[in-house]
Amino acid sequence: MPFFKITLIRSSIGLPKKTQGVLNALGLRKRMATVFKPVNPSTAGQIMRIKELVAVSEVEEALTNAEMRERRRPDPGYYIEKPVAG
Amino acid sequence: MFARSIAKALCQPSTPLSTLPPTFLLPLRARLTTITTSTTTTDPDPPEASFNHLPTSQTPTNSTPSHHPPTPPQRPHRLSRRSPLPPPTNANLSLLPLLAAQTPHYITAHLHTRPYLLTAGDTLRLPFHMPHAPPGTVLRLNRASMIGSRDYTFRGAPYVDEGLFVCRAVVVGIEGEPMRVVEKTKRRQRKVKRVTSKMRYTILRVKELRVLAGEREREREKERVEGEEEEEELEALMGEGGR
Repeated sequence: MPFFKITLIRSSIGLPKKTQGVLNALGLRKRMATVFKPVNPSTAGQIMRIKELVAVSEVEEALTNAEMRERRRPDPGYYIEKPVAG
Repeated sequence: MFARSIAKALCQPSTPLSTLPPTFLLPLRARLTTITTSTTTTDPDPPEASFNHLPTSQTPTNSTPSHHPPTPPQRPHRLSRRSPLPPPTNANLSLLPLLAAQTPHYITAHLHTRPYLLTAGDTLRLPFHMPHAPPGTVLRLNRASMIGSRDYTFRGAPYVDEGLFVCRAVVVGIEGEPMRVVEKTKRRQRKVKRVTSKMRYTILRVKELRVLAGEREREREKERVEGEEEEEELEALMGEGGR
């Protein structure tokens, strides 16, 4: 099932109440916040209203915040080969 | 008179120059950092091309254009050399024995993506504490962007395949910095809050750094590591049974 990955790039400060309402409805509370929404006409319409403020891409799976964070985490570059005996 | 003093100065240099080989034999530092990596081969062109294009399993082929921007057409030789990375072949690995034979080696190991230039015997104070690795723990460093010796450099794009080298480090201790005291004040209040902090750092020593040149060597190393793991599992099982 495809999802829209929507990231708020521009802040909603000083924008009309209507635009801010759309952002709230999408769950975009602050800049660089990312939400995943299913691909359907109603979501597409919401994105059309705020298309100047967000970056949108289509992905196959929706990720939670923890999963996105885990994917950003760099590789430690080591592993424990022999722990201390005892 | 002066001649005698000059001769004396020449005979007793302040630095132990006599232990070093003649200057023309010393490697140029620049050679280690430039893209031209093999300096002693008689036919430098094909090995160079293959040496720059490293056999890493995780080489993303689409990232190549960003690393090698297209060069102007009046230099076709360079253009051909900077062509997209070929898939890893045995030709790329054929020069590995030369690197493996020339000790000592250095490695640019990446811990949490930070690079550390290391050789065997180095002591490294990490800028962080590994709470799960008390002194005595053996760590295997498996992310390296570069392995080299005096004349050869093996580069990864971005990382060298971890099956091609062995780098082991032992946690030798934990260092503490002097206690820091920060005085916090608020406006219109006499109270001064003193916040203390004391960072701890893990110290590693690089015990082993080897390049695995041959296929057989690589397999043996793999088997050895797996065998050790099995032994540990057995020991753990025995320990549980004993209790």
